Amino acid sequence: MKPKTAIGLATVLLLLLAWYLATDVAGLIDRQRFPSLGDIWTAGAQIMTRGYAGGTLVPQALYSLRLVVLGFLVAAVSGVPLGILMGLSRRFEALVNPAFLLVRPIPPLAWIPLAIVWLGLADSAKVLVIWFAAFVPAVINSHTGIRNVDRTLIAAGRVHGASQARIVWDVLIPGAMPMIFTGLRLSLQASWTTLVAAELVGAVLGLGKVLSTAYRDIYPAMIAVGMITVALLGALTTKVLDLIERRVVPWRQY
Amino acid sequence: MSDIVFEAITKVFPRGGSSFTALADVSLEIPDKQFLAIVGPSGCGKTTLLRMAAGLEAPSSGIVRVGGRRVNGPGADRAVVFQQFALFPWKTVGENIAFGLKCKGVPRARRDELTRDYLALMGMSGTEDNYPHQLSGGMQQRVAIARSYAIEPQVLLMDEPFGSLDAQTRMVMQEELIRISRVNPRTVLFITHSVEEAVYLADRVVVLGRSPGRVTDVVDIRPVREAERWDKVASEEAMEMPGFGHLRARIWRQLRQEMQISSHQQAT
Amino acid sequence: MAAILSAVRGRRELALLSLLGAALFFGFWQMLAISGLVSKFVLPSPGEVLIAALTMMVEPFAGNTIQGHVAASLGRWAMGFGLAAAVGVPLGLAMGYWRLLDAMVSPVFEAYRYIAPLAWVPFAALWFGTGIGGPVMVIFTGAFAPCVLNAYRGAHLVERHLVEAARTLGAGSVRVMAEVLLPGALPSVVSGLRVGAGLGWQSLIGAELIVVSSGIGYVLVQGQSNLAPEIVIAAMAAVGLTGLLIDIALRLAEARIRRRWGQTP
Repeated sequence: MKPKTAIGLATVLLLLLAWYLATDVAGLIDRQRFPSLGDIWTAGAQIMTRGYAGGTLVPQALYSLRLVVLGFLVAAVSGVPLGILMGLSRRFEALVNPAFLLVRPIPPLAWIPLAIVWLGLADSAKVLVIWFAAFVPAVINSHTGIRNVDRTLIAAGRVHGASQARIVWDVLIPGAMPMIFTGLRLSLQASWTTLVAAELVGAVLGLGKVLSTAYRDIYPAMIAVGMITVALLGALTTKVLDLIERRVVPWRQY
Repeated sequence: MSDIVFEAITKVFPRGGSSFTALADVSLEIPDKQFLAIVGPSGCGKTTLLRMAAGLEAPSSGIVRVGGRRVNGPGADRAVVFQQFALFPWKTVGENIAFGLKCKGVPRARRDELTRDYLALMGMSGTEDNYPHQLSGGMQQRVAIARSYAIEPQVLLMDEPFGSLDAQTRMVMQEELIRISRVNPRTVLFITHSVEEAVYLADRVVVLGRSPGRVTDVVDIRPVREAERWDKVASEEAMEMPGFGHLRARIWRQLRQEMQISSHQQAT
Repeated sequence: MAAILSAVRGRRELALLSLLGAALFFGFWQMLAISGLVSKFVLPSPGEVLIAALTMMVEPFAGNTIQGHVAASLGRWAMGFGLAAAVGVPLGLAMGYWRLLDAMVSPVFEAYRYIAPLAWVPFAALWFGTGIGGPVMVIFTGAFAPCVLNAYRGAHLVERHLVEAARTLGAGSVRVMAEVLLPGALPSVVSGLRVGAGLGWQSLIGAELIVVSSGIGYVLVQGQSNLAPEIVIAAMAAVGLTGLLIDIALRLAEARIRRRWGQTP
């Protein structure tokens, strides 16, 4: 094991130990406000077997996961081509930019109230907000990706007699891929953040519902369980995206 | 007293799966106030030796001592002049030179005074408020040298300081270095690729072999220099002198041998 | 001459297209609102939004004028962001300098990064109630990561020789961090501050949707529960505008610093 990993692991274990000692053993911290490791374990067991706030952990997590993936895919499918088009054609960019610039500074979370006015507390409202959140980074990074393709590569393509379409397909888009994926990573992160927020505001089911119910019930251990689950799912989906990237963009140096 | 002593220095670097021995059992002594130049083919470990004296790297085995004390880390008693100048781009020339003084706690007025003095010594008066990127390479290296001199170190470690300068500037800098080091002699360890530069500047030249690095020749320059009075003439004239020529040839022959050995080793 | 003319024409053409794009956007919006296809309670016209915004500048809504709400939000943001910068930048630099610290803190930091800032809201509310601590904590969690990461990366970008030069001139660790790593990493640090500021602002809005009783996020919620989308959209515009101004201000600062450091952008 590399020394750096060993030190990191040791630190984490030490912190966990200190946490355990401070809460479960010595009772130094008010367990009403800060959950102990034991509490979290119990809460975790509870939600996995008996369920909480409307279901057991797996269905709740899957519910949230479904919304994130849906919103993310819609954003990717709509945002990446738009960004690419904006990168390819300055005219198109000039046309679309004003609308984009007006919408862009609005934080995605600020769309939640409007989405609720439009669609109520249904799933579609959440997907809409996730779409807004994930859309912007996808567009921007795809746009930048196309613009940043090394000019020499384009020249090399032209010199070989490539048509405009071929340059787009074989030079520009592959060249922009690394940045596109960076944008997708940001989109994924934004999707999770927005989902949690949206579900905190109003949800029937899902991890956000778990969090908000736990808050109302003053059940900090369950809050922790919810947070940990969100973090794990976030890490998992990011890993999946990374794997996809390695397949699609094998030439990137890591 | 600030002599540099390398005692049975070995340095091994891990390379991929195996290891690379940069230096093998190198022992070397540089007496107080001697100017020693080290020449050798690329990768022979000469920079590593310098970095050990500076305290920027530790030997795998063996001990480095400066002034009798074991080297444990970098310090203001051993100033380093880097090939890339290493001037702080966000500080002015004056602030760069005063940096070491600031670390020592020298009060502001005295710092400014010393900065002006050293700039004058380098022939660069008036440039205190310029930023490094506004200066030419030669001027930047002068600032770097002034910065190192300003803290009055016992030992000066110079790692191919003129390597990134063009040929003309290089010659001028060599003459300047001679001038200031005769005025203010201190123990100097000077690394260079150029045999001529080594012979011209140093009291003694050490030739380092490669793979693994070890001392293959030690040549005394000073007696010849003083006999032929190189310091009294311009550098190009000094380099024409017979004694200079002999020394240069001898060192070149040694180096050539080294390079042949290494390329044989690489072929097998 | 012909080249210059065509360049100007090209520029002019692009500007016209932008104008056209804006006009299309607002025009389409206005048409949709007037047409009766969607109820007034769903999509107000641009005009109605403007009127709502102007009204709120004079008449208090949900406790304060719209400027007052924005100011309240900005105050919280400033505190949370300031804290994140004050803690995050030195931490990032220190992690860049000391490998041991890096090894120790990295895994904890990575774990923290994956938790959406908003997920901290329940804890923030639990610990701070409706006081100012809650939103400040949420903003802090949002702004913290970019501050640390960019300082860390910036410190790594500083050429090793500069750090070595400083140490051979007698500088101690604190001086190295303050006089070599910080200035050397500054462009990266400022970039991180800019991103952190933006994320902090977003997290603030999120927090204000849930746990406060003043601020522009609160206006958004009130507008929503009153089923007054023109207020909601006006507030959204205010949020967007403020965020934009913060970003522009920081970009200008970033450009100035890059110029001064001799690194032309």
